[in-house]
Amino acid sequence: MLAFIARRLLLSIPTLFGVLVVVFLLLYVAPGDPVQEMVGERADPETIARLRKELRLDEPMLSQFTHYAGGVLRGDLGNSYITQRPIIRDIRERFPKTLLLAGSAMLLASILGITLGVLSARSPGGWFDRLGLGVAYLGISFPVYWVGLILILVFAVMLKWLPPSGYGGIKFLILPAFALGSRSIAFLARVTRSAMLDVLGGDFVRTARAKGLRERVVVVKHALRNALIPIITVLGLDFGYYLTGSILTETIFSWPGIGRYVVNAITRRDLPAIQGSVLFLSVVFVLVNLLTDLAYAKADPRVAYH
Amino acid sequence: MSIRRFFPLLVPALFACGGGSSGSSRTSVVDSRDEYDPRSLDPALSTDVPTGRAVAYVFDGLTRFTPDAAVVPGLARSWDLSADGLTYTFHLRTGVKFHDGRPFTASNVLHSFQRVLDPATKGGRGWPLYPVKGAEDYAGGKQKGLDAVVVRDDSTVLITLKEPLAIFPKLLAMPVASIVPDNVPKNFGEHPIGTGPWKFLEWRHDDYLKFAKNASYFDGPPKMDTLTARIFPERSTAAAEYEAGNIDILNVPEQESRTWEADESKKARLQSAPALRFWYVGINTTRGPLSDVRVRQALNYAVDVPTLLNRLLSGRGDLAAGVIPLTLAGADKSRKSYPHDLSKAKQLLSAAGHPTGVDLELWVSQTPPFPKVAETIQANLAEAGIRVKIVQRDASSMREASRKGNTDLVLKEWYADYPDAENFLFPLLHSVNKGVGGNISFYSNSEFDRIVTASHREQDDAKRAELYTQADQIAFNDAPMIFLFFYRDLYAVQPWIQGFKVPAVFNAQRWTDVTMSKK
Repeated sequence: MLAFIARRLLLSIPTLFGVLVVVFLLLYVAPGDPVQEMVGERADPETIARLRKELRLDEPMLSQFTHYAGGVLRGDLGNSYITQRPIIRDIRERFPKTLLLAGSAMLLASILGITLGVLSARSPGGWFDRLGLGVAYLGISFPVYWVGLILILVFAVMLKWLPPSGYGGIKFLILPAFALGSRSIAFLARVTRSAMLDVLGGDFVRTARAKGLRERVVVVKHALRNALIPIITVLGLDFGYYLTGSILTETIFSWPGIGRYVVNAITRRDLPAIQGSVLFLSVVFVLVNLLTDLAYAKADPRVAYH
Repeated sequence: MSIRRFFPLLVPALFACGGGSSGSSRTSVVDSRDEYDPRSLDPALSTDVPTGRAVAYVFDGLTRFTPDAAVVPGLARSWDLSADGLTYTFHLRTGVKFHDGRPFTASNVLHSFQRVLDPATKGGRGWPLYPVKGAEDYAGGKQKGLDAVVVRDDSTVLITLKEPLAIFPKLLAMPVASIVPDNVPKNFGEHPIGTGPWKFLEWRHDDYLKFAKNASYFDGPPKMDTLTARIFPERSTAAAEYEAGNIDILNVPEQESRTWEADESKKARLQSAPALRFWYVGINTTRGPLSDVRVRQALNYAVDVPTLLNRLLSGRGDLAAGVIPLTLAGADKSRKSYPHDLSKAKQLLSAAGHPTGVDLELWVSQTPPFPKVAETIQANLAEAGIRVKIVQRDASSMREASRKGNTDLVLKEWYADYPDAENFLFPLLHSVNKGVGGNISFYSNSEFDRIVTASHREQDDAKRAELYTQADQIAFNDAPMIFLFFYRDLYAVQPWIQGFKVPAVFNAQRWTDVTMSKK
């Protein structure tokens, strides 16, 4: 197992280098100019030329790249062109907030989604199953900004139970976590239902029932455990996406996370901030995928890694 | 990125509910106007609006703006100008202290200006100080000292300009010209120390900034204890926060203004004021058929601005007949904007040798409501036989392309940094500012240039206004842009707030006179 983890981590290095190169090239060829964003609406050519030189933007592409990659190898993501603050500090400040939001959304989604899925699978075609199907379709179809605004309208403006937006204690977390997780709840419910239906028809379930186990034990311990693989796949994928910036949710709820940071960096052509955060988020994605793979083995001992 | 375009469906429901009470249980007054995180709180880096606002709370310049666009003394008590119009003598306030207790003296003025201009600061916004003799050379590393700024004694500083510039005191009220203490630490941008009415308390990036009253502020301390500036990337969220009573003022989103104005209880809390914001389509006067004034005039006749303004911006604007906002000296209120006249447009096109019309590209950013405005302009122009292809790009790409001269038409707006007609005439249309300076029309008219240059030297306000009017008339006739409108701000102010005035310039509301009635 340890050898597997080590190999996976080693293999991710070329991937990350590829990310570094691709992001650099994309930004190099993309239109827009960081210096013009720095100087604002009214500027003069001398200042622009001077800043370009200071930021090494007048150098050939290869020299710019080796300079940047050299910094990354030394663990230095550089300073933002715009704010002059170290990128690594900006990420350290914002990523935990995104992690909190994504984690809460996933927690909510797993609890509600899996429960709904299991209950639906218990009596396929029953009223609960059909209701669950309807709710799931709605959850998948409604875009997150719409869900977010409706949540704000109902729970913050009309009922005044929760604050409309902002970052703070748990009451600030509930609405955005729900908005972000709504799609996963629906999706997980459907995936769990079909996986459970497959498993519930299996011989070992019949055996379990035949030896007189209580239905709850049959469903949760025997059936659900065997249905976990597709559920973990969905959880892993969604979690990866949420961590890399749930931009719309963060925007609607004024949540100070990494997604808004990346978007602001792109808008202002803040090259080191874009490169640094994309690289960091790629590492996160690699790690989440690795954890998902490890979770497969935990869920199903027949899955072994060599 | 923005979701605003989807919002109208929801708006009537959202604002049908919620009511106001006349007091708040909060102790901090809360602003909601910032749409993104400030770049820094260091005046030398103030190139964006949120930074400029925050800098105005913590710092003072030698002069400052009042909300209704007057320029009044700041750290300077008064100033005199030499007969040749070149040397300003600023008489400074005495007994003023920075928030860390150090006294403010004349040498801080010199050092602050040097710091802004110093290439090592990498601020990128030295131009407000470039009128000072030798400042540009100092910024370019061609000159060691800034000897045109002379500290005569602790409370007197002399500033010599390279050429007379009547509006110089207005430039000194810009955030970048704020006075900072000597030897600022490296993290000054996050821990600013000024002389201003508010002391910096806390900055949670992308979330909020917090300030505490400076009880010993020389102009009288703010009436509230703390000020919070929350950051809302989505204005509809700010509107919900306003409804919930969590913020004190709201810049009402355009598409929601009609709903608010129709609601009797909300209408009473609205404040509308003309803003120094000009919406226009920059016409590159050097490209193909656009070099012919008749084609440019035809473009102006073809666009139905009143309908556009009414439908897409809820009527929040005043028609533009020139580039000078109507509240500024020099605006000619009797001048009529180009009427919507299709036959006149077609006639001008034929006269210019384009009876079958012309093909153009119109660049526009992705920020609502600009794309919709562009589509309307496209439809208007099509009726006159002008075939327009819309090129939608992010603001950065668009700025770069238009400054390089690679665009035919660009839809954009221009904000004033200081309340003076010069802030529109000079950067937008003077030939020295072609490209990055702001003149994306690449307009060049020697008579226009001559009058604007003369206005710089004219110390008499009335005569200068007369020159502005003349220059504006020339530009209006030459049509280097499609003159659209001057934007009107619409703010909602909570019933428990007293003393708030909509500022004409973004950094002109410092919240010092604002009070809150308690629940």
